[in-house]
Amino acid sequence: MNTLIKLEITRTLRNKKFMFFSVIYPSALYLLISGSQNTTDKIGGTDLTFPAFFMVSMASFGAITAVLMGNSEKIAKEREKGWVRQLRLTALPGRGYVLAKIASAAVVTLPCIVVVFLVAATVKDVRFDAWQWLALTGAIWAGSLCFAALGVAIGYLASGDAVRPITMIIYFGLSILGGLWMPTTTFAPWLQSLAKWLPTHAYAALGQAIEAGNAPDAKDVAVLAAYFLLFAGGAAWLYRKDTLKA
Amino acid sequence: MTTTTSTSTSVVSFAHVSKSYGDVHAVADLSLELHPGETVALLGPNGAGKSSTLDLLLGLRGADSGAVRLFGTTPEQAIKDGRVGAMLQSGGLMEEVKVRELVKLACDLHPRPHPVEEVLDRAGIAQIADRTVNKLSGGQEQRVRFALATAGANDLIVLDEPTTGMDVTARQAFWATMREQAQQGRTVLFATHYLEEADAIADRVLVLHKGRLLADGTASEIKAKAGARRIAFDLEGAIDEGVLRELPFLTSFDVSGRTVRLQSTDADATVHALYGLSLYPRNLEVAGLGLEQAFVAITEAEEARTA
Repeated sequence: MNTLIKLEITRTLRNKKFMFFSVIYPSALYLLISGSQNTTDKIGGTDLTFPAFFMVSMASFGAITAVLMGNSEKIAKEREKGWVRQLRLTALPGRGYVLAKIASAAVVTLPCIVVVFLVAATVKDVRFDAWQWLALTGAIWAGSLCFAALGVAIGYLASGDAVRPITMIIYFGLSILGGLWMPTTTFAPWLQSLAKWLPTHAYAALGQAIEAGNAPDAKDVAVLAAYFLLFAGGAAWLYRKDTLKA
Repeated sequence: MTTTTSTSTSVVSFAHVSKSYGDVHAVADLSLELHPGETVALLGPNGAGKSSTLDLLLGLRGADSGAVRLFGTTPEQAIKDGRVGAMLQSGGLMEEVKVRELVKLACDLHPRPHPVEEVLDRAGIAQIADRTVNKLSGGQEQRVRFALATAGANDLIVLDEPTTGMDVTARQAFWATMREQAQQGRTVLFATHYLEEADAIADRVLVLHKGRLLADGTASEIKAKAGARRIAFDLEGAIDEGVLRELPFLTSFDVSGRTVRLQSTDADATVHALYGLSLYPRNLEVAGLGLEQAFVAITEAEEARTA
């Protein structure tokens, strides 16, 4: 199982194009979105400036992009080519496959997050305490694993041409409704109460709590952990049940 | 109970297994037992249900009815215990990794692994071990699949059309390796649509047609069963069908114009008797049946028997 995890990580690191664009993309988007914003205005009801708020949003968004898109399409392709069938003829447990995929996704998200932070600190003068930087990195990185698991599950639910549109719908739906692009305070009340239970909302809330100088809310951590277990467990179950033929 | 003793000694056991996809009966009421040390060919034309049978055997699909057991347990458990190695026709390989890395992965995942270098050597891929998997030829890919199937001390090796994409030399080398495996007491089951391959390698042949087991015996028994030969000749003048029908060993008879077409289980005796009738057959041809025709012959015989 460890060999598979190592091999999946090696493979991801070798795919230089994928790594480059996954890492660059959220930073570019961050500069684009925060470029027009006044750097000293505060976001409603908080002490945070727009660049600081968007830094966490884009780091989270970029991490989700990399793991969700990367995982679901690659897995669907591997299923079609029959590699997963071959792997199922080994003693590898279902969770081994899912863990390896999540681990290889985590390798991409860490530089994603760090680069957004570096850009925000150097270009946009975003300032936090040392513990906040570390906590933000750790929380956003750990939280991205939840979406890596979702990516694996989608790779198993859909196949062929359907993977991309399905991933896109889930990805944009979760990102927008979860408040990664704009604060959910602008939503209608019923939508706000729904958004609270989305994994993306909990994910963004982790970062925002740390930005505000607080510890993350236990409820958000619990929501993310529950989604992680759901997605990872579902993915492992689907791996064992998959009957798609090459 | 005899059933419990038979399952404990059998490597593979199918008991009335059926599997349909919509209206297609891929596997129909299949019952069979494989024993330790046997080399068994699963023979049948394309679409006979060979791959479906292997999928059921390996637990990649579930049966609609009936029970599949490997070593007295479920296919999943047998695989987890490292008792089964399989090479699938459609088994893809992990891309963007080197051959050695992939083989090492298979060895590490196996509960009773062989050393990586030994596996590479035996599969004949030691010299391409540092190549990237997606840059291999079809035959090389097959050998990598074979390496994955033999990464550990399996008791059963399952191969689905293993020599597809291999040239003649590679084929011979492959079967030489396979014989070695069998000599070490392993059970080898391979699917093929080549009668010659089944004949040369297997000591037991299962003939599958439309998902049903038509014949189960040694290669020579199957050949005898499917071994009818075709005899064709032209006759001048009036043809006395009644006399020709009395020729020995005929399994089929057809006259069109001046041409007579026969099938016989003993062509030598039939032709000998033909000359004995003081006839002078022209353009006499005697030929073996192709595999397709052999299957038709076996199917017809089977259907006539069960009718």
